[in-house]
Amino acid sequence: MRLSDTRPGAIFTVDRVLIGGEIGKRLAEMGFTQGATGHFIRGAFLRGPLQIRIRGYDLLIRRCEAKLIEVSI
Amino acid sequence: MKKTVSIALAGNPNAGKTSLFNALTGSHHKVGNYPGVTVEKLEGFADHGDLRFRIVDLPGIYSLTAYSLDEVVARDFLLEEKPDIVVDVLDSTNLERNLYLCLQFQELGIPVVGALNMTDEAKAKGITINEGLLSESLGIPFVKTVGTNGKGIKQLLDSCAAILGSGALNGERGAKPAKAPEKALWTLKAPHYGEEIESRLLPLTELLGSDQAFSARYPARWIAIKLLENDENAMKKLREHTKGQEILSKAQADRTWITSHFGKDSEIVITEQRYGYIRGAIREALTRSPGGKASLTEYIDRITMNHFLGLPLFFLIIWGIFKLTFALGEYPAALLESFFGSLATLAQIIIPEGFFRSLIVDGIIGGVGGVFSFVPLIVILFLCISILEDTGYMSRAAFLTDKALHAFGLHGQSFMPLMLGFGCTVPAIMATRTLKSPRDRIATILAVPFMSCGAKLPVYVLLAGTFFPKTADNVVMLMYLGGLILSMLSTIVLKKTVLRGPSTAFVMELPPYRLPTWKGVFWHVWGKTFSYIKKAGTVILVASIAIWAITTFPQPRDESAKAQTLAAGFARSMAEASQEERDLAVEQALEEYRLEYSAAGRIGRIIEPVIQPLGFNWKLGVALVPSFSAKELVVSTLGILYGSGGEEGEESESLRQALQRDPGLNPLTALTFMVFILIMPPCLASLAAIRSEAGGRWLIFQVVYSMALAWIGAFIVRLIALPFLGT
Repeated sequence: MRLSDTRPGAIFTVDRVLIGGEIGKRLAEMGFTQGATGHFIRGAFLRGPLQIRIRGYDLLIRRCEAKLIEVSI
Repeated sequence: MKKTVSIALAGNPNAGKTSLFNALTGSHHKVGNYPGVTVEKLEGFADHGDLRFRIVDLPGIYSLTAYSLDEVVARDFLLEEKPDIVVDVLDSTNLERNLYLCLQFQELGIPVVGALNMTDEAKAKGITINEGLLSESLGIPFVKTVGTNGKGIKQLLDSCAAILGSGALNGERGAKPAKAPEKALWTLKAPHYGEEIESRLLPLTELLGSDQAFSARYPARWIAIKLLENDENAMKKLREHTKGQEILSKAQADRTWITSHFGKDSEIVITEQRYGYIRGAIREALTRSPGGKASLTEYIDRITMNHFLGLPLFFLIIWGIFKLTFALGEYPAALLESFFGSLATLAQIIIPEGFFRSLIVDGIIGGVGGVFSFVPLIVILFLCISILEDTGYMSRAAFLTDKALHAFGLHGQSFMPLMLGFGCTVPAIMATRTLKSPRDRIATILAVPFMSCGAKLPVYVLLAGTFFPKTADNVVMLMYLGGLILSMLSTIVLKKTVLRGPSTAFVMELPPYRLPTWKGVFWHVWGKTFSYIKKAGTVILVASIAIWAITTFPQPRDESAKAQTLAAGFARSMAEASQEERDLAVEQALEEYRLEYSAAGRIGRIIEPVIQPLGFNWKLGVALVPSFSAKELVVSTLGILYGSGGEEGEESESLRQALQRDPGLNPLTALTFMVFILIMPPCLASLAAIRSEAGGRWLIFQVVYSMALAWIGAFIVRLIALPFLGT
């Protein structure tokens, strides 16, 4: 499933980032690499950005980018 | 003579780099710019034994790709200037991701010293780091520091000195394949990417090393890695290489091989391998004591990022800042005003009447003093903004506002520049460099000037205070809100027309809440205030004198005849009034006559037909002329245009009363004028920033666009407000 499909509170493992290029590279650099575990803390009002805890820190990511990350729960 | 050693201070954003820089250099800063861009460059010195460290603060970055302007700046600085040592500031609470950047410095071939910063916070979080083990496995000396209280600074400098003593500068630096091409190309310990990738990297590195001039400039292994990462910037550099074409096609083949072998893009593979290497290193060096308790940050975020409470709280904070700025700033502002008032009185006593006195009192004290009295407001506003920034609340604001901003075609990261735009357009435009996509950057740059900057505030305060005395702060707030709405509407239109295209990734860090240090806040506020005062002392001083000159010269020759005519007229129309009152009326009418005759009056008359549909008289037209160089000049110009009447007898009349007496001015004109000031092109300094950040073409676009919009906007507002405010 995709990260954008998970629900707040979910703990997930990153399977892969689906695209390369600048966006995929940046997602990987910020910590979304294969096998990394993350925690979906909360989403913003009206399907705004997601707050994700990964590699011991928190980041914000939009739903359209979360769609590019394949995860399993 | 001490030996000077150059150090580049680098690190992730939010790693406490600024406080460490302050701790290292004391208060000996030099602010400059990186060549070609307006990215601020901080420089300072630290003396240590017989060494003098010249420390350059690099912009905070996450990686050494060419993702944002900050990264390009940092990368070019390291490649071109070749500092002796990189001190990488790492957030100890977030070591894994912070090490990702650290390793890239190591790959660049510059000796790295790692500052494990914020160890106090890490300790509180139950994170223990064994820096000895870490140093051993990564081949980088690590020192524990706490930038906010200066802990570990001496040890950090010791480590730098030790690196120099060890001869790393000559031996390892860049591995100098130019001198010994047959030896191992890489002598420093560096990340290992696994056999498959290393087997591709090695031949590529060797091939790159074949051009001695090239590899003397750029570390070969680093370029090889960048090529496998599909880095366009590195590919461009290959043009300088004699075998550039051959290398490019080989790198292309290697990337294809890696992609098919690993089943994902090679840039992702490299990133994952780098993280894998870091994982291995910190597995033993870092221990986390399990603690299930939510941190204080988590508790605060439950409120500030709440679905229902977050946004109202955010608006409450913004509203509170404006209230605080006005309520608290009023007292020192009044104090400064009376100070300049008494200065003017003093000048009137000691300087004999004539042009010189007029120049000092009306030109210089009136102009510069008027601008200075707004310094308290600016100090308070920047104090609030920098506290919001330093605590980490700004990222929460981005979380709350991204959805809405995205709908208008902006970015959560546009929020910060837009917010800063309320303070000053210049740093706000500079702050857009964190935006990756050029389109998003330009959209934000074009939106920022509609945010009412600190210099527009005096104009609002003066006009709203004069013509809307009961609802002044609401009217000012309306101007701010109107600018905000306009910038959003304008962005939608621009994004659909001149700035069409797909949007880019929104990935940003959400740092834990931190108490701002008073030093950090002080420097921030001081820097901003100082640049404002400097502007007041230079540009505005010159402009004030120029305005005084064009409002004074040429002088009418028939003044005494005119005075007699006026006196005779007033003797009839004001028969009841005392002689004193009649004299005053004559003096004022004469003053206006002089102004109409002066160069400024003529300019006002010339542009009057253009601004007449907006209800502006020629005096407002005159006030608009210097507003192109700085908005706050509107206040000082109006001060000169209206303030000099009634010098004899009583104290000089205040500007507000003089404005109210002008029959050409009323609440409707005041509102329309404020709208015009809000929309029109920003000050010269901002235009210069737009030019350097977006280029000359966008500068011209901005000026023409906002000029047209100002006229149309003011006209529409006038039509809408007409039934409510009358004429």
